[in-house]
Amino acid sequence: MEAPPVAVMPVTGGSIHMMEYLLQGSVLDQALESLLHRLRGLCDNMEPESFVDHEMVFLLKGQQGSPFILRARHSLDRPVAPWHLRYLGQPEVGDKSRHALVRNCVDVSASHSLHDFLLEMGFRMDHEFVAKGHIFRKGALKVVVFKLFRILLPGNTENTEPLSLSNLVELSVLAPAGQDTVSDDMRNFAEQLKPLVHLDKIDPKRLM
Amino acid sequence: MCLTLCVCVCVCEIVIVFCARSVSQVPVAEGKSVQQTVEMLNRKLEQLGAVKQGNFCVDCETYHAGAIGSPGQPPKFLYVMHNSEAPLSCFALFENGPCLVADPNFDVLMIKLKSYFQNAKSNKVESRGARYQYCDFLVKVGTATIASSARGITVEVEYCPCVTANDCWNLLMEFMQSFLPSHIPGVPSMFGVKTDGVYSPSDTMAQYLELFSKLRKQQAATGSGMR
Repeated sequence: MEAPPVAVMPVTGGSIHMMEYLLQGSVLDQALESLLHRLRGLCDNMEPESFVDHEMVFLLKGQQGSPFILRARHSLDRPVAPWHLRYLGQPEVGDKSRHALVRNCVDVSASHSLHDFLLEMGFRMDHEFVAKGHIFRKGALKVVVFKLFRILLPGNTENTEPLSLSNLVELSVLAPAGQDTVSDDMRNFAEQLKPLVHLDKIDPKRLM
Repeated sequence: MCLTLCVCVCVCEIVIVFCARSVSQVPVAEGKSVQQTVEMLNRKLEQLGAVKQGNFCVDCETYHAGAIGSPGQPPKFLYVMHNSEAPLSCFALFENGPCLVADPNFDVLMIKLKSYFQNAKSNKVESRGARYQYCDFLVKVGTATIASSARGITVEVEYCPCVTANDCWNLLMEFMQSFLPSHIPGVPSMFGVKTDGVYSPSDTMAQYLELFSKLRKQQAATGSGMR
């Protein structure tokens, strides 16, 4: 009995040209329930998935001007799940009529040694926060409604306080570069959430 | 054939890696080339009754942390490895440091980090060869190459049912004696360090890394002599 041959080559590389299309907005705590109710109706998953995540933002300072930023995120309510490492590039300055913010995105799932490994690579933690909220899906669209919490003592995720009286709403899609119809779909979906929340493309550079 | 000149100085490393695995060193047979020794080992395994199940590949790339770190500090090397046994994983290690197991997108991230970590392409080490199954054992005999030139032989022996490394070392040794020439490896250094004793794929990669580092050092040592 011949055993099936095993894969010869290890799989190397991933996709370098994945882009994140993003629209953001916010709602006050009082309006949260109405928004969740509407999202439940519009989106695929009947019961929204809730999450509690701890995110740490790491910087690597080199000889170049701006430091390299990586975001390491892990779940506090599902501790066995792998850590998630994310690189986000600069927003693409392109077509002004494009409805969403577009930036290069590299997502890596990693083991629990990620924090120590990043420190060994030379990264230093810049800031951290806890995010608690809900996640919805509609096809390729992902809607995340969450509240940010400030960590009072470094490393202690039990002791947190809310950053504000509102919740951040993010509508995003991960797609290969060049698919501009994605932002049209996102705009159409965002229209259905008005007037509960206004989702816009917000250039992070303008906030600094 | 220029390979025969290297035979007397190049040693073939046995990487014994088991589900519980381990790594060690075996000299190339007297008067034979790397390829001939590999064929000899493969024949011995087939005579034992092992069945060939395709091929395997383990590779290791070296990244040099040039732009970061304070001057005066020794340069840091980051090793990114892949193993065909875990095709959807990518392993990143520092020698005697933490090991990260990530998905293949980590390679893409290293491309983004190219101004901080330079890929020393000439240092890429690969081990390729046949994969044999014999009852509960998996044996992989590979030719280790640095920049397309064969530098040694790796033999990986895996005892699948066991995850506690220290419990099956004796069994592995006995099995190895049945097909390896005289020299049998000692207990890999990392087994002493493991507190919980549960073996994981990153231990395998750490052993391969130790092996590949030895081969690189030997190449550096003989390289100056060859000219």
